[in-house]
Amino acid sequence: MYPRPFTYHRAASLKDAAATLAELGPEAKLLAGGQSLVPLMKLRLSSPAALIDVGHIQGLNYIRAENGAFRIGALARHTDMAQSAAARHVPILHDCAAGIADVQVRNWGTVVGSIAEADPTGDWAPVLLVLDTEVECLANHGRRSLGLAGFIQDAFTTALRPGEVMQELRVKATERGSGGCYLAFKRCAPVYASASVAVQLALEGATCRQARVALGAVALTPVVATESAKALEGSDLNAKSIARAAEAAAASCEPPCDGRGSTEYKRALIRKLFTQAVNVAARRARGESVEVSHHYA
Amino acid sequence: MADRSSTAPRREPELLPHQEPAVEKPARAPRNGWVGRPIERKEEQRHVRGRGKFIDDFKLPGMVHMCLVRSPYAHARITRVDVSEAEQHPGVICTLTGAEIAKLTTPYIEIGPDPSARIQDYCMAVDLARYQGEPVAAVIAISRGAAEDAAELVQVEYEPLTPVMSAEQALTDADVIHPAAGTNKVWQGTFEYGDVEQAFRDAATIVHIDRMHFHRFSSTPLENNAIIGHWDQRDENIRFWCNNSFPTIGIQLVAPALGVHIDRIRVETHDIGGSFGIKITNYPYMTLCALASRKAGGKPVKWTETRTEHMLASAHGNERTFLDTRVALDRDGVIIGIDSRHLDDCGAYPRYEPLGCVIWTQVFAGVYRFRNARINFSQAVTNKCPVGPNRGYSRMQQLWFLERCVDLCAHELGIAADEMRRRNYIRPEQFPYTTPNGCIYDSGNYPGMLKLAQERLGWEHWKKEQEKGRAEGRLIGLGIGTTLDSGTNNFGQSRIVNPHAPFSGNSQAANVKLDMYGEIVVSVGSVPQGQGHETTASQVVCDVLSVTPDMVTVRAGFDTERNVHTGHTGTYASQFAVSGLSAVHGAAQKLRKELLRLAAYALNAPEDQLELGIGKQGAEVRVRGTDRAINYWGLANIINVNNAGLPDELQDVTLNCRYTWRAPFKIPDLERKYGNLTLTYSSQLHIAVVEVDTDTGNPKILDYCAIDDCGVMINPRIVEGQVHGATAHGIGAALIENCAYDDSGNMVASTFSEYTPITSVNIPNVKYGNMETPSPHSYSGAKGMGEGGAAPVHAISAALQDALYPQGIYITESFNNGDSIFSMLAARRQGRSTAGVRTERRAK
Ligand SMILES: Cc1cc2nc3c(=O)[nH]c(=O)nc-3n(C[C@H](O)[C@H](O)[C@H](O)COP(=O)(O)OP(=O)(O)OC[C@H]3O[C@@H](n4cnc5c(N)ncnc54)[C@H](O)[C@@H]3O)c2cc1C
Repeated sequence: MYPRPFTYHRAASLKDAAATLAELGPEAKLLAGGQSLVPLMKLRLSSPAALIDVGHIQGLNYIRAENGAFRIGALARHTDMAQSAAARHVPILHDCAAGIADVQVRNWGTVVGSIAEADPTGDWAPVLLVLDTEVECLANHGRRSLGLAGFIQDAFTTALRPGEVMQELRVKATERGSGGCYLAFKRCAPVYASASVAVQLALEGATCRQARVALGAVALTPVVATESAKALEGSDLNAKSIARAAEAAAASCEPPCDGRGSTEYKRALIRKLFTQAVNVAARRARGESVEVSHHYA
Repeated sequence: MADRSSTAPRREPELLPHQEPAVEKPARAPRNGWVGRPIERKEEQRHVRGRGKFIDDFKLPGMVHMCLVRSPYAHARITRVDVSEAEQHPGVICTLTGAEIAKLTTPYIEIGPDPSARIQDYCMAVDLARYQGEPVAAVIAISRGAAEDAAELVQVEYEPLTPVMSAEQALTDADVIHPAAGTNKVWQGTFEYGDVEQAFRDAATIVHIDRMHFHRFSSTPLENNAIIGHWDQRDENIRFWCNNSFPTIGIQLVAPALGVHIDRIRVETHDIGGSFGIKITNYPYMTLCALASRKAGGKPVKWTETRTEHMLASAHGNERTFLDTRVALDRDGVIIGIDSRHLDDCGAYPRYEPLGCVIWTQVFAGVYRFRNARINFSQAVTNKCPVGPNRGYSRMQQLWFLERCVDLCAHELGIAADEMRRRNYIRPEQFPYTTPNGCIYDSGNYPGMLKLAQERLGWEHWKKEQEKGRAEGRLIGLGIGTTLDSGTNNFGQSRIVNPHAPFSGNSQAANVKLDMYGEIVVSVGSVPQGQGHETTASQVVCDVLSVTPDMVTVRAGFDTERNVHTGHTGTYASQFAVSGLSAVHGAAQKLRKELLRLAAYALNAPEDQLELGIGKQGAEVRVRGTDRAINYWGLANIINVNNAGLPDELQDVTLNCRYTWRAPFKIPDLERKYGNLTLTYSSQLHIAVVEVDTDTGNPKILDYCAIDDCGVMINPRIVEGQVHGATAHGIGAALIENCAYDDSGNMVASTFSEYTPITSVNIPNVKYGNMETPSPHSYSGAKGMGEGGAAPVHAISAALQDALYPQGIYITESFNNGDSIFSMLAARRQGRSTAGVRTERRAK
């Protein structure tokens, strides 16, 4: 790989990283697993003047349960997540983590880095949006906490301020009777989704008490499909109400026509993925253990 | 005796029709030895342990690095190249521009005739950039990083020109890509056999297909192109370490371009991470590395291609469009005539082309019996990456065309897919079969393969599933693809595209020797890229010398100075099992004869009482039934270092035996475009069961079966591996891999994120089966294999057709994905017709 020249700084702690970032200014970038940044640097599509490597900081790859939430450390890899107690408790986390690219990418890439990257076709954002997720940020002058929805502002743009780093993600643990599912359509293993759907449902008996739906890869940022969720809420999730909700999901986005497919094709993908995801989510909400895999060409 | 045209004086093309098979039957090898055993590959140990030696692993003293500046435009005039700033960059040694290249080299020899012979192809764009990614300047620096940084400082000004993005557009000549040639047409010719007009008069049915299209794709070898060039200033010799997979052709093009004697060029290849034919055309980069090395003061220059460079500017497979196709059928659905027009798009420079304009005729008739056909074939340059002989080269396009014809006709006539094939296949009793254009199919049993495939797959089960599914509104299709892999080609076919082409026949050389301590060392100048030549060559030698594979060292890889070669040497076109191993076999037999003669002298016993075997002291020759023996060390010792008193009759013994195998070919009849073009014809039969999602259009392979017949298998494990690889490539090509360009000439799949080469998640569990119809044309009964005829593309197109025919959809593209099928389904739902296929029934 032949990136443009840059200087390299190894951070001793996240605090140190934030300080260095503040000092080096907007031309500097954090390096975590490097699975988004390095490919871009290789193609010279991104050329930071300085890299601040947080990858050698000890103790940041935690995923732990605390006060009804899962705290995901800045260096928790996709693989860590796939093997975590959190993923066993909240299966949608497993769907996502285990379905990213290939083993090499999963062993290096981090969940936090993925959110920081805010790639419109990234898998984590829609998943974490249907859960209650807070982003913990750290800067020289202190910390703050933001809701994930407000954190992702645009394609490849977050609410991080200059000199600010992400410290961890906090995902609220789901309750009994809640179940979710994440499904994507990918053309082959190590590529980003053509379209994806995250669904998290809470059931009360046969009725859907609460639903959350988010769509990935169909807009510049993940789409929270409120109308679709509303169509599910209060229903007993029969085929008809699911179809109505699928339609609402498809209508809530205007997917770009590109090498992955036309707008209408991607809407069709959304309907398909949505229908399956709702069914799996409902079964999981009822306590069933269901394994799913993404759809591949 | 077969005609050995290189020892006989050069003869004029024979104009008589070849009635008799032009090929002699060689003596058959015994069937109980090492040949035929699925032994582990000798190569596996080093590759699994990461101990292979690939070009990028080579680091030579003083070595520097090259980076290329490439055209962002598909078609543009280069008005200014300014390298001054780049040359000032730290670490930069020198630069090269097109203007210099035009002074330092002459354009490559063109294989085609006038006017395409006037095309000026240099290793770098001189005044016009003709495809996106074409090199326009080179920067040579002490590190690749420095070269990359400096390359960004090269200023190039372009004046964009209209990009010519299809063969159809090119052939209008509205925008001429090579002004020196004055036309975009590279070659045009009509291949007509039998009585086509009569066939159409006799037809009970004529099926018209307006347009079909075979898309561009590549085989994306794991290792990209890589070259080290060294122009040694002390002796003016040029040395290449590279992964070119047909170096003899490479240096035959590089030497005249550089204006040097070919003897001054030494090429070495080592381990190669796949080529699939794509690396045959990396010789422009070899030229560049040599020139860069000279300008850098004689330092070795390394160039390793990046993946993006590979996707943009290495080579793609040929794209072909089939127009105005008419198929004549008799009352029973038997095809009696075909008439069609084929346009081939070879990209910006012909390079290995227009050989593809004749190579497809090796399988002119596919696996079918029809005798009357007329195909008007043209090839054009366009503003896309030049093509290269990609796996299944030029034949898979023709095979796909024929498979689509047969398949569409079956549907139009309401004949079951399997029945249609059985009615049209060449029959087993017809072998050896001479095709309408004079090719001789050595052996095969297509109905037998179909039967085996249907059993393996569970055809009847899937037919029932299909029916059940249809009742539920599901779209399930079964598709058959029957293909040929023609191997060991007759270079004389080049004369059909250019009567003055100085090529014919085919040959390979090998050397088998006893080294000084009696080690058996085999040299084959072939260029394996994963095909296991070291293993199969050792198996052949073991049978001749009665030893075991661990006792045989095989030096594969090309080396102009140190290894044997002929002008045809390389690894391409499915031939090693026949050409390479025949040479190894010949050399081993020579050595065996010498060993027996020498041992008879040493043991003082008559030759006919001797046998070869393994004794207490290793490989030996002994008097049968006794322990009187001399081992290989003893024999090697006599000849190499202990030869005083050797009797006169043994003075010619060297224990260092070279054999050149030549294929018994004649030059084809150029007028009639008739003659035997390849020695062996492996066949493949694949069946795919595919379901199309009615909502999304996404196709999903539900079941898959691949049957292969390559005659006698030298090593069944290697054969099976090749079949799996070819199947993966073909499935990728059929469903996900497409070298697509936009209208402005941008290659839109220039990274793996966009090109999406097939991965394990896309590959179904393949039910593999094998059939064996021994070839009468090779000593072992083996037939070349490895390309595989792109059977999955045909089988998947047919399966999609079967699934979608009831929807009124015709499959006329070789590339179909969820997106394209979705749009066809949507068009049908809106009542729009999708493609022009018409059936004309005539009162007969
Ligand atoms: C072949 C391949 C296929 C892939 N396929 C998928 C896929 O299908 N789905 C998917 O979701 N992802 C995919 N990825 C991306 C992968 O998930 C990455 O791991 C992830 O996007 C980024 O995580 P990282 O740790 O590698 O971050 P890096 O690449 O190191 O950094 C990414 C960005 O985040 C910033 N950053 C990192 N950590 C912090 C922090 N603590 N605070 C502030 N900023 C930070 C960096 O500065 C940088 O801008 C793929 C990657 C590859 C190479």
